[in-house]
Amino acid sequence: MKFSFARGALALMATLSLASCGGGKATFPINVTVYGVSYDGLVLTTNGQDLAVNHTGTGADPVTVTAVFPKQLDYGETYDVVPKPVVTPTTVTAADGTTSTVNVTTYKYPLHQTCQQSGSYPTNLPTYGTAGQLSSIQIYYVCSINAYPLVAKVTGLRGTGLTLANGSGPAPVAVSPTLDANSAPTGADITNLSLFSVTYNTTYGVTILTQPTGQTCTISGGANGTGAGTMDDAAEKAGGVSNFVIACVNNPT
Amino acid sequence: MKSSILRAGVALACALGLAACGGGDGDLLLQGTIYSGVTKTGLVLTNNGGDDLAIPAGATSFQFSRAVSTDDEFNIEVKSYPSNVKTCTINNGKARANYYTIAQVTMSCEIKTHPFKIQIQGLTTNGLVVVNGTDRRDVLPNTPVLEMSPVYEDGPYGVTILTQPTGQTCSVANGTGTMGSTDTDNNKVVVTCA
Repeated sequence: MKFSFARGALALMATLSLASCGGGKATFPINVTVYGVSYDGLVLTTNGQDLAVNHTGTGADPVTVTAVFPKQLDYGETYDVVPKPVVTPTTVTAADGTTSTVNVTTYKYPLHQTCQQSGSYPTNLPTYGTAGQLSSIQIYYVCSINAYPLVAKVTGLRGTGLTLANGSGPAPVAVSPTLDANSAPTGADITNLSLFSVTYNTTYGVTILTQPTGQTCTISGGANGTGAGTMDDAAEKAGGVSNFVIACVNNPT
Repeated sequence: MKSSILRAGVALACALGLAACGGGDGDLLLQGTIYSGVTKTGLVLTNNGGDDLAIPAGATSFQFSRAVSTDDEFNIEVKSYPSNVKTCTINNGKARANYYTIAQVTMSCEIKTHPFKIQIQGLTTNGLVVVNGTDRRDVLPNTPVLEMSPVYEDGPYGVTILTQPTGQTCSVANGTGTMGSTDTDNNKVVVTCA
């Protein structure tokens, strides 16, 4: 009788001591901080859960959004928090006319934005890991507004020294004439010349900063036909503005 | 006789000892990273007020020619600025030298900016929008001077008309150029409307 009592007490003690040293179930919330959110639409995903991160505040002012995934993780569960991929089967037509279907993967970023893992200290922590590795799970992402190129065709350029500016922001772009085998300028068209990268919903105005020697160039294109415009929805959909023409003619002698 | 040998010995020991603990050149090359703002020649750095080091335009790093010894104190300061620089900020520029501290120096320079004003002539209607790249301004009728965002010294500007005003046509004279070194000699961009 006495012996069994002792056994019971021992079992009770063991249970109590186990509970006190963490035998109870610990869970880990997945905390998320996203910097630079200017628009709605970001969805982060991990462990079969989705978390929508939307813009708060007025206009498109960039804000920092904090959120927590709905379900917590158990100790030892792995996680990998990524922008939710969307796979779209797309039909592509090859040069010979045959069609095939390829899967195109896009991500649920905010509208007009792209988000990446934070790259700067102290928030440049991995977005994957195992629950319990660190005392808490903290995920950081940084979103930036997309930028699209201004693409030009340069005609008749023979002189050197042509530079183009887009206001005061980016460095001016220098354009050199095409040369033949003897290093003489041919005046041949320069096509698909990427000039500047312009952020969505900002304006651009391309001007000629310096004229090439012995020539005068004029610029046309852009949304207003004279080199200026806004990187709006239509321009974004087209992947940039590519109707710039810089036409150069020799100065009268 | 014996004491003079001893004295010479002590002097020698002292000399060696001094040399060993930083009296002379060491083996640590003091260096740094330049993040931004050095677009012209003219920047000169000093260490402890000497060892002048001229930094060429566009440099992204620097290294003093004279090596320092472990535990030597170094103090990097700017002796002279390029003409277009307002100020330079040096981080971790003052410390005692060791393998870690000699490679932790960073510097960024801030380039001067100047006000950028455009003269507007003859504008009597609404709707004129003027841009300098991403700097977009709606211009009201009868505005004599339009103040744009400041422009960096030696930096480009390119003013164009994004939208013409109702019933008028405006043109830009001297719209593109490079910002000079004073606050006033660049205000020659004129938008004339008729």
